Amino acid sequence: MPDTKKEREARNMLSITNSKVFDTVKILISICIAFIITFVILCLISEDPVNALVTILTGPFRKTRYLGSVIESFIAYAFAGLAAGILFKSGAFNLGAEGIFIISGVSVAAVACNPITTNPFLHSVLCILAGALTGGILMVIPSFLKAKFGTNEMVVSLMLNSIYSGISMFIIRNYLLTTTTNTVGSKDYLETAKIGYLYEPLRISACLILLIVCTVVLYIIMFKTKLGYQIRLSGSNPKFSEYSGINSFKLALITSAIAGVLAGMGAACQLLTQTSFYQPDKSLTGIGFSGMLLSMLGRNNPIGIVISAFLIKYLEQGTQVLYFVDRAVPSEIVAIVEGIVILLISSQYFLRGFREKKLLQEGLKKDA
Amino acid sequence: MKETILKLDNVTKVYPNGTVANRDINMEFEKGEIHSIVGENGAGKSTLMKIIFGIEAPSSGTVTYKGKEVHFNGSMDAIEAGIGMVHQHFMLIPSFSVVDNIILGSEPKSGIFIDRKEAVRRTQELSDKYHFELDVIAKVSTLSVAKRQKVEILKTLYRNAELIILDEPTSVLTPQETEKLFEQLRQFKEQGHTILFISHKLEEVKKISDRISVIRNGVSKGTYKNEELTMEQLTNLIIGRDLEKDFDQFKTHEDFHDEKVLKVEDLYMERNGKPVLNHMSFAVKKGEILGVAGVEGNGQQELVKCLTGLEKTAYEGKITVCDKDALEMNVKQRRELGMAYIPEDRMGDGIAASLPISDNIISTYYDREDINGKFFMNQKAINKVADDLIDTFTVKTQDNKTAVGSLSGGNVQKVVVAREYNTIPDLMIAEQPTHGIDIGSAELVHHKLLELRNQGAGILLVSADLNEVLDLSDRIIVMFDGQIAGYFPDASKTNDQELGLYMLGARHQSEEEIGGALNA
Amino acid sequence: MLKTIFESLFTMKFLLSIVRLSTPILLASIAAFISSSTGIVNIAIESIMTFSALAGILGSYITQNAYLGCLIGLLIGILTALLIAFFSMKMGADAIFVGIALNTFADSLAIFFLYQIAGEKGTSASLMTPILPAVDIPGISSIPILGEIISGQYLLTYLCWIILIVLYILVYKTPLGMRMRACGLNADAAKTAGINVQVLQVLSLILSGFFAALGGMYLSLNYLKIFSKGMVAGQGWMGIAANGIANGNYGALLISSLIFAAFRAVSIVFNTSTIFPTDLVGTIPYFAVFVFVTAASIINYYRIKHGKVEEQ
Repeated sequence: MPDTKKEREARNMLSITNSKVFDTVKILISICIAFIITFVILCLISEDPVNALVTILTGPFRKTRYLGSVIESFIAYAFAGLAAGILFKSGAFNLGAEGIFIISGVSVAAVACNPITTNPFLHSVLCILAGALTGGILMVIPSFLKAKFGTNEMVVSLMLNSIYSGISMFIIRNYLLTTTTNTVGSKDYLETAKIGYLYEPLRISACLILLIVCTVVLYIIMFKTKLGYQIRLSGSNPKFSEYSGINSFKLALITSAIAGVLAGMGAACQLLTQTSFYQPDKSLTGIGFSGMLLSMLGRNNPIGIVISAFLIKYLEQGTQVLYFVDRAVPSEIVAIVEGIVILLISSQYFLRGFREKKLLQEGLKKDA
Repeated sequence: MKETILKLDNVTKVYPNGTVANRDINMEFEKGEIHSIVGENGAGKSTLMKIIFGIEAPSSGTVTYKGKEVHFNGSMDAIEAGIGMVHQHFMLIPSFSVVDNIILGSEPKSGIFIDRKEAVRRTQELSDKYHFELDVIAKVSTLSVAKRQKVEILKTLYRNAELIILDEPTSVLTPQETEKLFEQLRQFKEQGHTILFISHKLEEVKKISDRISVIRNGVSKGTYKNEELTMEQLTNLIIGRDLEKDFDQFKTHEDFHDEKVLKVEDLYMERNGKPVLNHMSFAVKKGEILGVAGVEGNGQQELVKCLTGLEKTAYEGKITVCDKDALEMNVKQRRELGMAYIPEDRMGDGIAASLPISDNIISTYYDREDINGKFFMNQKAINKVADDLIDTFTVKTQDNKTAVGSLSGGNVQKVVVAREYNTIPDLMIAEQPTHGIDIGSAELVHHKLLELRNQGAGILLVSADLNEVLDLSDRIIVMFDGQIAGYFPDASKTNDQELGLYMLGARHQSEEEIGGALNA
Repeated sequence: MLKTIFESLFTMKFLLSIVRLSTPILLASIAAFISSSTGIVNIAIESIMTFSALAGILGSYITQNAYLGCLIGLLIGILTALLIAFFSMKMGADAIFVGIALNTFADSLAIFFLYQIAGEKGTSASLMTPILPAVDIPGISSIPILGEIISGQYLLTYLCWIILIVLYILVYKTPLGMRMRACGLNADAAKTAGINVQVLQVLSLILSGFFAALGGMYLSLNYLKIFSKGMVAGQGWMGIAANGIANGNYGALLISSLIFAAFRAVSIVFNTSTIFPTDLVGTIPYFAVFVFVTAASIINYYRIKHGKVEEQ
């Protein structure tokens, strides 16, 4: 008797051979392995490894302030992850988000330091727009060169990262330099530019709402629209998408512009909530690069990326809580967790043998 | 009684995905014979050869070579034992010289360096001994297909192969070149080499073999002396039924008033200072199949790329698709004119292996109104299109969400053809549409092409398989060196021998005759 | 002022600084070259350089012997390369993503270890570390100009020069090198010729890790004499860029590396004066790589278009 389609579907839902279930199990096992390794490292460097691990995992919940700090600080990282995600999904190895964050920060700071308007809402919006516009335009450069001439976008985008940070320093030093302190940083933002909290204890601001909106829109674009279809197709086989008549040049420009806008908004969110003046060599460094890792963790899925960003920031907060009691464990240990999970979940063959065995068994059962 | 050089006992091969390629194969090969292994595409010949050559390990059963049971762990072991293989797709490095290709893997040394002098001497000696007439210092990329095959054969001889496996060696040759190859094979036989000749072309098998083994559906159907078998018996053994050869019965002959769906005029393209497409002119009419015959590498690939808009190198001339000038158009615009294209490299160009069938089967018309709604893509409509096509084209799959890459070659091609068929094209460019797929799928592809033709589409059929071109085409052009060497207004009035002469460049029609390709 | 700066571009000192600055870029570029010759993309060169630079310093500090430190650095470089090999070849991960991941958390990881041993997150300056010497070659050092360039360089610079010659011979004159190139050009052909492609690819990755490790340690154990965060500063990527421009041509590889080194030297000369803005002068080498890589691809684009070369 052949199964009805419904029965088969129901059975597949929970089976390890179902690819979605398999992926989830794989991610969970990867995380477990990462924590086991982390624990071993903690045993080596900390005098109380059990407490250290528990603190890392539960620390952020010990005070509302800690949790609020996670909620506030993960936003820019999530934006960086979304930017990297759409690029990776379309098959582009444009690693330019780092530089885009930094140079978009200059635009944000320029708008934030000038009394363009007295309306606080409008001023904040203009700051975000300035960041988004700068990002959207500049992120296109490596993708344009790649799509038109076949330039190695990885090298080009990384070189641009260094160039942008030099230019940012130059602009801040020469046109926006603070007069109050000795550091290379901009003047203080005007109060109207800063983004306030909607719910202060958890530090929930309009940025979180902006992030949620962007994530949902991006998710819909990715999986429900023509553009998303084109992105997925060209990311999975660029020759095939060219053969199918998809304009890969146009697509590269659109996706990189979207990524740039996301990065620029991320820069604005970070600056207007976390800082009161802009330091190009401090305020935003590392966020763009982290975004690439987050994108890999979230498997280029917008929702997965945002969740990853939250979890990673959560762990970092945990290590910071730990740092108050145990100075032996630096927050960089999170990078180890992150690295292990990324390497394992991007390994196609990890646990594959196990799954194939199951598949074979199921196949045999079907025959019998 | 002759000496047995190679013996297969109950060889079975099951792939991890469950496909049984060979089942309980028993065969014996005698020293110094030309032994053919025949069967349809996908019958399991290639897998069996891979087992003999050590590329694949048998799931069960034994291989006995020169009286000893062997377990080759990779082709290195097989080569060491004295087995050589000439692969259907040449295993050569185009940017290396002939010598370097031949010595690769067993280089003569002086100290730690490659002894190039010695290498050249030995290669030249071998080439002379077997009358191969090869310039051994030339780069392989400059050689013709037939010469490249000689390099492949020389490679096996250089390693002192006693048993030489040739996998479909004639599929890339003209009938005349095939004749030459056969002479050489007989010469090898006289010198004591054993030849395993893999083919699905029965005339050739009958011509060259001492003995013939038949494989059907992965199972051996026995070994016979050549003279014991008639052509009909052989066909029956291979297919298990009579061969449906006559495609003419599927052709209807409606009058489409000689409307042209494709006009190519004076198409010219240069690479490295040499013309690869040399002022070609031809046309494809509604309701006909124009076959393009030719030895691989005479400009067919470039022609197709120029027509489909995928060529990156600049070209000039005139390309008219359905009365519109298409020369400056991109792929999308050309497709909108009614062009469809079945690519030769189906895994590379024709699908995205990791995506589901449903995504793959709409890639050339994903923006059609019924599929792409106002804002969102209509998943229901996509599923329906996919399911319908999977049904009509009998694609073997669990559902339309299966990744295309996990299907068999024949089923992948069905997905590609289904997609292109579903664009309801006025002009179909079919490039090697049945290359390397099983006979069932090939038959389906052929029938669908004829169906399109009967509905009034014009089809440009580019194929290295002469039989395919002869069987399906209404008119034929032969390409040689980037030019049209011959034009045959009635495909049924020519044969492979005649076409072969044009494919080799031995004959060339007058400009007036060739002009018929455009003006007929 | 301007005049003196431009004059300083034509002095002995400038030439010498090119030589000094070229060593890590040359090593990075042959690291990229050797892995791509067997068809493996190793984009983790930057991170290998970082790891080895740190491992060399820490090893040297712990053993109080610069040579042992160097050995430890090499070991770490090779292990990192093997990690890439393991994940990309055995575990089926995309080598490019493995590389991006490694590069991205290289700094964090390095700081983690630096903090464990030095208790600092920025540099290893607090550690008393023996370093590798500069070497005077007696006899040659007395020759004018040439002697100044050839003699008195750091130990790893000489090692780099020797490796450049040995590598050329290995790749172009020996059976092993021919087999490696065959793997990169057509892996199937190599396989059917009885060559174990995977073994050669792993070997090329090990060599790549070895060269990158030397490049990293040149920075820490020779040139700067300490480890500091971000010290590799894109030099691994410059090597990858040089390899991309050279496209398999060994001579072009070395020349592009030297050109990139020259731009680094220019940026340092310009930085000694106050008339150029330091922020922008610092970007000169990166800008040079950007321009060269882009120009090379544009030239290639037009060569394809005009039928001079085939698209790859």
